[in-house]
Amino acid sequence: MSPDLSVTLSRLKLRNPILVASGTFGYAREMEGLVDFAQLGGIVPKTVTALPRVGNPPPRTVETPSGLLNAIGLDNDGIDHFLEHHLPYLTSLPTAIIGNVAGEDEDEFVELTAKMGQASGIAAVELNLSCPNVAGGIDFATDVEITRRIVKRCRDVCPVPLIAKLTPNVTNVVSIAKAAADGGADAVSLVNTLLGLAVDWKEKRPVLGNGTGGLSGPAIKPVVLRIVWQVARAKILPIVAVGGIATIDDVMEMIVAGASAVQIGTANFYDPMASTRIVSELPAALKVLGCDSVREAIGAMHVGA
Amino acid sequence: MILQRTAQVIENVSLAERTFRIRLDCPEIAAAIRPGQFLMLRLPGTSDPLLARPFALYDTVLDPSGTPVALDVVYLVVGKMTGLLAEVKAGEPIELWGPLGNGFPQLEAEHGVCVAGGIGQTPFLAYVRELLGTRGYAGQRPRKRVERVSLYYGVRTASLAAGVEDFQAAGCEVHLASDDGSIGERGFVTRLLERDRPAGPFVGCGPEPMLHALTKLTASWKAKCYVSLETPMACGFGVCFSCVTKVKTATGWDYKRVCTEGPVFDADSLVVG
Repeated sequence: MSPDLSVTLSRLKLRNPILVASGTFGYAREMEGLVDFAQLGGIVPKTVTALPRVGNPPPRTVETPSGLLNAIGLDNDGIDHFLEHHLPYLTSLPTAIIGNVAGEDEDEFVELTAKMGQASGIAAVELNLSCPNVAGGIDFATDVEITRRIVKRCRDVCPVPLIAKLTPNVTNVVSIAKAAADGGADAVSLVNTLLGLAVDWKEKRPVLGNGTGGLSGPAIKPVVLRIVWQVARAKILPIVAVGGIATIDDVMEMIVAGASAVQIGTANFYDPMASTRIVSELPAALKVLGCDSVREAIGAMHVGA
Repeated sequence: MILQRTAQVIENVSLAERTFRIRLDCPEIAAAIRPGQFLMLRLPGTSDPLLARPFALYDTVLDPSGTPVALDVVYLVVGKMTGLLAEVKAGEPIELWGPLGNGFPQLEAEHGVCVAGGIGQTPFLAYVRELLGTRGYAGQRPRKRVERVSLYYGVRTASLAAGVEDFQAAGCEVHLASDDGSIGERGFVTRLLERDRPAGPFVGCGPEPMLHALTKLTASWKAKCYVSLETPMACGFGVCFSCVTKVKTATGWDYKRVCTEGPVFDADSLVVG
């Protein structure tokens, strides 16, 4: 008997726990031919903002040991363009589409969530409360009260499940996750990139055009595991793990640590077929644990005293 | 359609100082790629280096029946990834995906002029063969599009000149320049071009200052010019938005992805600086 791969995150039901992360899968069209979309649990397209954004000056990415530092700067054509040009294609795909939005202030978050959440065919909305690369912007998810308030106001205008994507760049993610839960989030995505810096010492300047950037890739996986585990132990709300997940082993580690779903991110850049390969490897991995479903494996990690 | 494959290395041989030609057994991509398009190559089994790197198609390799079966890529060792690539042996695997990017324009002209600097000659070998009609790509029959092709090729010094015999064997007229005069004319390749003043159209690939000089020169001649750009890239297929360059729009400029909207651009469309 093949195991039950479906997962439920509050009101959000997914055919399997393997999603692809915002900003690493474009608007899915680019991945046609490389990825069989029907195999995926869902797609989170690139973050959409209220107005078009030109993005940061290049260089926008630099490789670091087992990692990638990026400062793209939410280069996108705005919500209206997204709804008109990308959404019809995305919602025609045989998988869940989770729209990702970032506002420059609270009102913009509410306006964007309303537009995205009310669009036909959207399965859920993910709030990018934590992009580190927007010049002059605020990292909303560093503040408990702001996080609670934005999630609450967005929840009121959003008929579909709402996911809050949080930053690791705080002392205690648990308290921010609690705030998201208080605001009515269905799940939290843990975590956005870690703020970092690459330096060209000979030129005496930062490597990236934006100065600082967000670190992703295998280098950050232990940090993500620790945060997923901390939030899972607090039993706050379902968790979508994101950061450094590139193999079936990474996925299983996140699931037993307490994640209900995962997002494949940077791996899409350097192993474009990774997401669907991982889906195909999931049944065998569950069998190793003796589990008949993904649900049984979530949070199965034994923790010593 | 983009394909991701693991290919066996057939050979990895030295062409010039720090310059190698790697041959990859990959019939599917070889059958689909055309000149000016590129590939992402990655070393398997390591996360450091993590990302693949973009490399131009040097040429496809045909079997005795004329079917493309393998890919040649010529690369200069410049950093960690290319340093490790140079140590890869025949029989070992390489991850790759492609074909990527738009490729060179299928010019119709009397005389096509390719202008290369540094390692920028590599995309032009297949292009020379396509233009002269000695080889077809991506399922197209060979067709003569130009009467003659010239390659203006500038290097720092003679030991870095790679593949000159390949270009000559392909029927291309090669004009060399070097910074130190150790091969061809001393000085910049654009100065050599200025002296000969061919009519074009022109297609350039190489360091940014060379491409700026070429663009300025050909604009002053009111000649058509295309340039193939190289920018830092994480994915190669348009999802990471790293590799952007400024392209003119009706209202000013916008960043466009070199990997999908390029790498070949009409020189007039680019914003310098």
